Amino acid sequence: MQFEWIQIPYALLNLFIIINFGLLMNAFVAKIGARVGRRHGIPIYQNYLDLIKNYGLRSSITHGVMFYLGPVFRLSGGVGLLLFVPTIYGSDMFSNFSFSGDLILALYFIFFGTLGMALGAAESGHPHAAMGVSRGLSQVTMAELPLALAVFSIALQYQTLSVTEIVAAQQGGFLNWTLFTNPLAVAAAMLSFLGSVMRPPFDVVLAPQEIPIGPPTEYHSSYLALMQTNRVIYPIAKMVIFMSLFFGGATSWPVFFLKIFLIYMFAVFIGVVFPRFRVEQSIRWFLIWAVPLGILSVLLV
Amino acid sequence: MVNALFIIIIGLGTAFLLGLLGNTRRNIAYVFMLFALTAMAWIAHSWLWIFTIDAHSRVDMFTAGTAPPFAINLRVGIVETVLVLLVIMSGLLSAVYMKDALLRLGYKSMSVLLVFVMALCGIILTRDVFNLFVFFELAVIATAGLLLLSDDKRALAAGFKYLIISQLVSMFLLLGIIFAYHATGTLNIDGMAEQSPEMLKGIGSLAFFFMFMAILTEAKPFPANGWALDIYESAHPGFSAMFSAGMAGAASVYAVDKLLLIGGQEWLPVVTVIGLLSFVAANLLALVQTNDRRTLGYSSIGQVGLILAVMGQQDILGEHYLFIAGGILLSHAVAKAGLYWISGLIQKRQLTDWSVLRGQPLLIFAFVSFIGMLSGLPPFPSFYAKWDLVMMLASVDRLWILGFILLGSLLEASYLFRWFGYILKRDIIKEDAQHLSLASYKLIVIFIAVVIAWGLAYLWGELSSYNNLLLAIPILFALSFLLLDFLPTWIKNTLAIAGMVAYFFIAYPSYNPLELIYAIIFLLGGAVILLASYYEKGRRVGFYPSAMLMFAGLTLLVMAENSFQFFAAWEFLTIGSYFLILRGKYSEPHALLYLIFSLAGAYLILSGFALAAQGMIPFSLESLSQVAQPIAPWVFLLLAIGFMTKTAVIGLHIWLPGAHAEAETDVSPMVSGILLKAGLFGLMILLMNMGKQQLYGVELTYIMLWLGALSAFLGNLMAVFQEDAKRLLAYSSIGQMGYALFGLALMNQLGWLMALMFVINHYIYKSMLFLSVGGVAKRTGTRQMYQMGGLIAMMPLSFIAVLIGIIAVSGVPPLSGFGGRWIFYNAIMASEYRLPMMLIFISGPIAFLYLFRLIHTIFLGQLKDEHRKIKEAPFWIILPQMIYVTALLAFAVVPGMALHRVDNYLNPFFAGQGLNWDGWTITSNYGYWSPVPIMIVIAVIFATLFMWLLFVNRKAQKVKQFNIVYSAERPYRPETTHFAWNFFAPYRKAMGFLIQPFVTRFWETFADLLHTLADIVRRFYTGNGQTYAVQLLAFIIVIYLFKVGY
Repeated sequence: MQFEWIQIPYALLNLFIIINFGLLMNAFVAKIGARVGRRHGIPIYQNYLDLIKNYGLRSSITHGVMFYLGPVFRLSGGVGLLLFVPTIYGSDMFSNFSFSGDLILALYFIFFGTLGMALGAAESGHPHAAMGVSRGLSQVTMAELPLALAVFSIALQYQTLSVTEIVAAQQGGFLNWTLFTNPLAVAAAMLSFLGSVMRPPFDVVLAPQEIPIGPPTEYHSSYLALMQTNRVIYPIAKMVIFMSLFFGGATSWPVFFLKIFLIYMFAVFIGVVFPRFRVEQSIRWFLIWAVPLGILSVLLV
Repeated sequence: MVNALFIIIIGLGTAFLLGLLGNTRRNIAYVFMLFALTAMAWIAHSWLWIFTIDAHSRVDMFTAGTAPPFAINLRVGIVETVLVLLVIMSGLLSAVYMKDALLRLGYKSMSVLLVFVMALCGIILTRDVFNLFVFFELAVIATAGLLLLSDDKRALAAGFKYLIISQLVSMFLLLGIIFAYHATGTLNIDGMAEQSPEMLKGIGSLAFFFMFMAILTEAKPFPANGWALDIYESAHPGFSAMFSAGMAGAASVYAVDKLLLIGGQEWLPVVTVIGLLSFVAANLLALVQTNDRRTLGYSSIGQVGLILAVMGQQDILGEHYLFIAGGILLSHAVAKAGLYWISGLIQKRQLTDWSVLRGQPLLIFAFVSFIGMLSGLPPFPSFYAKWDLVMMLASVDRLWILGFILLGSLLEASYLFRWFGYILKRDIIKEDAQHLSLASYKLIVIFIAVVIAWGLAYLWGELSSYNNLLLAIPILFALSFLLLDFLPTWIKNTLAIAGMVAYFFIAYPSYNPLELIYAIIFLLGGAVILLASYYEKGRRVGFYPSAMLMFAGLTLLVMAENSFQFFAAWEFLTIGSYFLILRGKYSEPHALLYLIFSLAGAYLILSGFALAAQGMIPFSLESLSQVAQPIAPWVFLLLAIGFMTKTAVIGLHIWLPGAHAEAETDVSPMVSGILLKAGLFGLMILLMNMGKQQLYGVELTYIMLWLGALSAFLGNLMAVFQEDAKRLLAYSSIGQMGYALFGLALMNQLGWLMALMFVINHYIYKSMLFLSVGGVAKRTGTRQMYQMGGLIAMMPLSFIAVLIGIIAVSGVPPLSGFGGRWIFYNAIMASEYRLPMMLIFISGPIAFLYLFRLIHTIFLGQLKDEHRKIKEAPFWIILPQMIYVTALLAFAVVPGMALHRVDNYLNPFFAGQGLNWDGWTITSNYGYWSPVPIMIVIAVIFATLFMWLLFVNRKAQKVKQFNIVYSAERPYRPETTHFAWNFFAPYRKAMGFLIQPFVTRFWETFADLLHTLADIVRRFYTGNGQTYAVQLLAFIIVIYLFKVGY
């Protein structure tokens, strides 16, 4: 696959679809969470309003260059992650820039935004930001491990590191999905997924009651808007990888919407049921429950 | 040819004639004595000419005009000549050195000195046992007399103890001679040797035993040598020099050698065992000594023990015997005499008191030359000798002897270099420094010894069957900086850089692609780091010889073709880097630890090569592939552990953090970014030639895989919890080297590419990070990260370097670290092992923790009040960092530039499982990677979003970090607001149990045990003459029971 200029508008279209889907889905999920708590919840268009308001705010300050660049790093990470992986299987329109690199690129690019954001937050000089980063990094080292193992396991299973080829191998009936051909890997990866969506029980990084929202504490107005945009794109970009690797990918947009929603709901369900872990607890939890599954999946594949 | 009798006549005659002058004309007597010694030296020197240039064979000189057994004959050959010359020269130089004491005690002392020298010459020259006895008696009495030269009151007691022991010895010797005469009817040694088979039966064997033990005792074997130590400790250092070099080194040892003619093969093992025991035990006991002269005494006993052990190997050494024994003996004699002479300059007797030498670079050079000589380091004769010895021992499977010799050598190097550390690092007490007696005649004596030391180094290089190390251009280049050390730093720095770059381009055509990568890192990479050295002002005495020695070693390592060249290069780079590390302000214990581990590793490498060569000389490195089973895996094991010591694999890593962290600003990147690669280079040579090896059914590369993974994991984990920035980087190096080791041990082409990727990347980013952190530490005056913070605005360039560095280390795209990760995944896909990968998976993300901590706690967060006016790091420290930033970016975009050729070069070794380099895209069997599109896509996205933010946020107002609200209050001070100390507290709660310092405790306990053992055994020497006599008797009886009695 080679680069053609037409891919740029295609990629922008893709981005547009994802942003809208993400805004709506996040609001919907928030509403579900509210209903579980016997509250009414936000209107379904609330995220649009928030985003427009924050982009429109004119009062803003900066703590320095890295502080300024932090949200840019963050959003570049989200957008880049989305565009390095094909969104819709078999569609030239929505294959994005996946010719640049394979699964490994995607896995390591996840850290691009995280790292940039952490640097920006750190320059704000706010201790809550630094604490949030400390917690987040500590947790992510162990939370990402089962995913890495699962990815290794299925790369061995399919003998390729190309996302497209992995999706291709799962076509022809849902029994061909990795979910059924390599359930251990999927289980490990889904547990790992819980650790990366900033929902309970693994949301001590933001921990609204102790370190008011952690890393983004000092961010406001358009900075915050960029990060909100990322909050919309990034989880979906990540779920695209999960969907492609474990759940047969998506050959059309409706299938895509459905699968992404269901994957997300998995984390939401668990989040509304369980209380928050402290960092060392969550590290131990991943080490004891998720990592062995990953190891088994690698050994048995 | 001058008759040998003249030596005796001159010595004895002058000794008597001095009496005529009386004590009123001491000066004249002194001149006469010197004149006599010079005449004796001249005679020996004239022989030297005859035996070397004219290649004469040995000559017998008859004293009474008839041949033995009717008269005594003196024999002169090359060995006798050299030994006699050694004795006389040590006597002459010591006589000059002891001028004050000799003049004070008058002509009698001078006569005794002459008698002493004459007697030692006699011991060496005579071939008659009774004559031998007479000369020994003379030497003993003279010794007792010369002990009075000392100011130390204990010398008198030591003399008495010596006399007691000598009585016993004489008794045995006389008894032996009587019985031997009875058994053989001759007193001539060669005559007895002819009859040795008959003589060694019945009464004759007892006779020989008595004679032999008596002579052997004069060589001070452990444990019957307490008296000797008391002499060494209390005598005048000038006399100790003669005693150690002449009496113990030359005369007694040669007497033993003569008697072995009679004893023959049967007695060689006895000498070996006693020699080895003395060598190891003396060096062990020396570990706990604090008195300088006693330490030297122990060392002396050890060295003589080593020579005895070599003597016991006569049966296998053949024509190499003289080269080996001579190399060790002369090294010992010159070095020990030199050290004793230096000790005379110093007032106090503790080893730590030698720190007064610090202001004297020439004396320090002398000291280094001497201890290098004793430790068997190149280019000194003992190095060549030990190499040959080890090769011969391994070829006939005398491995336990080899093991003990290396063990003893390691112990010896440990305490000698610990001592050197004291000199450079311990506090100087002012009044002591003023008491340093630098009389010019004493200094001249010492420097003559230095000149002789280097002359011998050259001579042994010429005599050896290998290239003369002193003629290798890189070594000459490094040594030339010793002469240039008076120049200012910038001139020397320019010369060094020019030399390294020029050498690279000269040698360029001879490198293969793999060597080329290392050569670029060692030579060009070294030159880039040296740019930072322009920052240093003044003369920086000692820096350039050390640094250039290290680089010379590295250069020679890449070019080495046979095992000798490789090992010599290895030793050079070890010594050079040790001196470099030792320059750090607080690096004394760390440098020592580094040296001990490195030398131990080097000895393993030496044994590995010896075992592999099986006597083949020269042994080319390619021949490693032809080493046969069953020894092949053992060779592999020894070499691999040796190399892994250098890469600081977990378990052998404890030297690294201190050594790298405490080194100077521009030294840390050299020893981390560059030096660590030497170990990887060795491993590559090893693996490329020997491939996979199995030992007891266990695949050794599989164990290496685990070790690499463990190092990566634990190295990273330990880095997370460091507060000291340079220590953090040092631990990170352990992790990074673990990755590289892991890649190599995968034993597939991609694994090797990954390792090379780490070699290149680690050089660039670790050098860069060490320089940045070093620059920051220079400005802030601390390395504790929590004491910094918010420095981004003050030191933006350093920040950029660290930022680029940590992105590259962490492996986040688009920088070059990602390439390493990508190749890693492809490499493990092709590998059959899966379990060790898990550890690598864990260690990857852990790197984020310490990297973030590094940049956050130094550059981000709250700026402290005392740092508000701090400046950017000095230009010369920033410049190389900016070069590295450029290099990292370039390497990220076009990794193929460096890797493509190596990939092709590796193809034949791994049956072409490499990568396809197709335009911008690199593909493997499993995936693909296009660095340029990645870079472009990320750059475009980033730039677009940045523009967008600039547009919507164009009126942003800049405020300081402290302008925040924290828990609804204004924070109190930046110090209390900067969240930095114990940054990963929750992580420590979860994972901290994994970094208990088990390894450090293990090695500490090991060292403790050695010291305790030494301390217990040391008590054996009670200082009581009677006890010593009993010990001597017991020693003789034990040997008798073992050897003769049963």
